[in-house]
Amino acid sequence: MQYKSQAVAKPYFIAAIGLFVGQILFGLIMGLQYVVGDFLFPAIPFNVARMVHTNLLIVWLLFGFMGAAYYMIPEESESELFSPKLALTMFWIFLVAGALTIVGYLTVPYAALAKMTFNDLWPTMGREFLEQPLITKLGIVVVALAFLFNISMTILKGRKTSISLVLLLGLWGLAVFFLFSFYNPSNLVLDKYFWWWTVHLWVEGVWELILGSLLAFVLIKVTGVDREIIEKWLYMIIAMTLITGIIGTGHHYYWIGTPEYWQWFGSVFSALEPIPFFMMTVFAFNMVNRRRREHPNKAATLWALGTGVMAFLGAGVWGFLHTLAPVNFFTHGTQITAAHGHMAFYGAYVMVVLTIISYAMPMLRGRAANSAKAQVMEMWAFWIMTVSIVFITLFLTAAGILQVWLQRVSTTPMGFMATQDQVALFYWLREITGVMFLVGLVVYIASFFVAGETKEAA
Amino acid sequence: MNKPSQPRFVRPCTLIWLALVTLTGVTYTIGDAGLGGRNVMLLVLAITLLKSQMIAGYFMGLRKTSLLWRAIMGGYLIVVGGMIAIAYLMGIN
Amino acid sequence: MNTQSLTIDAHEPGTPPGDLAIWFFIFAELLAFGVFFGSYAFARAHHVELFNQSQQLLNRASGAINALVLITSSYFVVRAVAAIKQGLSRQCANWLGAAIALGGVFIVIKLFEFHAKFSAGISLSTNTFYMFYLSLTIFHFMHVILGMVILAFVMAKARSGGYSIEHHTGVETGASYWHMVDLVWVILFPLVYVIR
Repeated sequence: MQYKSQAVAKPYFIAAIGLFVGQILFGLIMGLQYVVGDFLFPAIPFNVARMVHTNLLIVWLLFGFMGAAYYMIPEESESELFSPKLALTMFWIFLVAGALTIVGYLTVPYAALAKMTFNDLWPTMGREFLEQPLITKLGIVVVALAFLFNISMTILKGRKTSISLVLLLGLWGLAVFFLFSFYNPSNLVLDKYFWWWTVHLWVEGVWELILGSLLAFVLIKVTGVDREIIEKWLYMIIAMTLITGIIGTGHHYYWIGTPEYWQWFGSVFSALEPIPFFMMTVFAFNMVNRRRREHPNKAATLWALGTGVMAFLGAGVWGFLHTLAPVNFFTHGTQITAAHGHMAFYGAYVMVVLTIISYAMPMLRGRAANSAKAQVMEMWAFWIMTVSIVFITLFLTAAGILQVWLQRVSTTPMGFMATQDQVALFYWLREITGVMFLVGLVVYIASFFVAGETKEAA
Repeated sequence: MNKPSQPRFVRPCTLIWLALVTLTGVTYTIGDAGLGGRNVMLLVLAITLLKSQMIAGYFMGLRKTSLLWRAIMGGYLIVVGGMIAIAYLMGIN
Repeated sequence: MNTQSLTIDAHEPGTPPGDLAIWFFIFAELLAFGVFFGSYAFARAHHVELFNQSQQLLNRASGAINALVLITSSYFVVRAVAAIKQGLSRQCANWLGAAIALGGVFIVIKLFEFHAKFSAGISLSTNTFYMFYLSLTIFHFMHVILGMVILAFVMAKARSGGYSIEHHTGVETGASYWHMVDLVWVILFPLVYVIR
C-alpha cells in the first residue's frame, strides 16, 4: 500500500464482513419463519428479524464504501488522508451506534424504543429500511459528514482524478439523499413519494456512481489499461445512470396515488435503466481482455467481472422484468420483488464491496495478492455464494409467478395466506439454498486465514 | 497564405437543406388540410424517414462512415417508423 | 492548455465525425426518444378519437416553423464545420452563433406555445394526448437547451482560436449532438402535430 493512512480502511472492511455474517444469519431466521411461522416467536418476531436483516445490510455496505474510500482516495489523490484519527474515531462511533441500534431492535418492543429515543420530538421511525431511531439517524449524519469532510479535504489538497471525483459525488449524494429520511409527511402519498428519494435515488442513483468508481479503480489496478480509457467509460456509465435513473424514480409512483402520467414516465425511463449495468459488464470484460499486465490477484479480477454480470442480471434484467406499469400492476409487492431485490443488491453492491476488499485487503496486509491456496478458496467462496444467490432468485421468481397467478390473475383469485401455502415448497428450497450461501460466506472468511507463499506488494 | 478551399460537402448540404425545407412544407400542408387515414399516414411517415435519412447521411456525415454505422441509424429509423405504422394500423381496427 | 501536437486529430476512417463517446450518447438519446415515440403511437391506438380531437387544438404552424428553424440551424452548423476545416476560426464561430440564435428562436416560439396551453388550463393530467404532447416537447426542449450550451462552449473556443484545420474534433462533436436534436424534432413534429 502506497500511503500509510490507507491502513484505516482495514477495520472498516473487517466490520463490514462481520456485519455481513449477522445479516445472513437473520436472513436465514426469516427464511425459516416463512414456512415455520412460530420459529423464535415471540423472542424474535418476523418483523424484528426483518429490520435487523435489512438494516445490517445497509450498514455493512456503508462500512464497505467508507473503507473503499479510505483506501482509494489517498492513492488517487497521491496524498495522505486528511485525518486518520478522525477516520478511526468515526469507525468506533459508527460501529457502537450501529450495534446498539440492533440491540435495541432485538431487546426492546419497537413502540417503547420509539418513546425512549425521542421519536415524539421528530417522528422518523416506522418506515421500511428507515426504522432507525432518531438518534441513530442523527448519528449516521454526523458520521457521514465527518467521513465526507475527511475525504473531501484529502482530494482538495491532492490530485483530482475522474475516479475520485465520481466517488465523491456519489458519496455526497448518498448523504444528501439520506436527509430525506428525516422528512416524514403525514399524507400517505407524499410519505411514499419522498421515501423513494432516499431508497431509489440511493440504489438506482448515487450508489451506482460509487459502484462505477470502485469498479473502475480495481480494473485500472489489475489490468493496467490506460486510465484515460477507463475514465471515459466511467463518465458514460454514470451519465446513463443519471439520465435513466432520475426520472426512472417514477416506476415507484404507479399505484401510490400520484398522477397517472407517472405510469408512462416511470415505464419509459426505467426500461432504460439496465443500460448502464450492461455497459459496466462490457466495460469490465473489455478492460480485462485488453489488459497490459498479469496481476497476481486473480480473485479480485474474478469479483470485478462477476459484479458486472450479476449486477446486470439482478438489477438490470430482473428489474426490467417487473418495471413496466402494465406488468407491475400484477407483480407489485410479490415474491417477484424479493427475487429482484436479492439478486440486485448482491450483484451490484455486495459484490463490488467484496471486489474492493479482495483487491485492497492483501495490500493492507503487505502483499500484492494472497497465496494461490487462499485465492482458490476465495474463488470457491465467490462461486458458492453467487450460484446460491442465483438459485435463491430463481426459487423466489417461481414463487412469485405462482403467487401472481393464483392471487391476482386467475379467474378465481385466492387470498394471500392461502397462496402462501401453495408456494411453500419454493420457500423451503430458498432456505436450503440460503444455507449454501452461508457456507460460501464461511469459506470466504476462512480464505483470509489461509497461509502460503505470497508475492511482495509492489 | 493559401487556405484550403471550401470542403466538398457544402454544396450538397445546401441542396439537402432546400429539400428539407420543401418536405417540411409538404408535411405542414398535409396537416393544415386535415388529411388523415392510412395512405396519408404512410406518405407522411415516408417523408419523415426520408428527411431523417438526409440529416443523418449528409448533415451528420454518416454517408461517409462504414456500413455498421449506417446500418445502426437506418435500423433505428426503420424500427421507429415501423412501430408508428403498426400502431396506427392497430388503431384503425 | 495547449495540446496541439504535430499530428492531425486521429480519426479512424469509417467512423462518424467527432468524439466516439458523443455518438454513444446520440444513440442512447435516440433510443430514449424512440421508446417515447413508440409509447405515443401505441397509446394513440387505444384512444384514436381523443388523440385526433386534442391534436386539432395544437398550434401546427409554430410546430412547422420550429422544424424549419432547427433544420436551418443544423445547416448553419454544417457550415461552421466546413469553415473550421478551412482553418477559418472566426467564420466557424459566427456560423455557430447563428445556429445558437436560431436555437433561441425555437425556445421563444416554444415558450409562447407552452404559455398558451398552460393559460388554457392544459396540463400533464388533462388527458393522455396532452400528457404525451407536453412531456415529449418539454423533454425535447431540454435537449435544445443542452445543445445550445454545448454549441456555446464550442463557439467560445473557436472564437479564441482553440480549433484548427488539424484539431477540431470538438466542433464536430458538438455539431453531431445538435443534428440529433434537429433529427428528433423532424420525427416528433409529424408524429404529434400531423399524423391523424
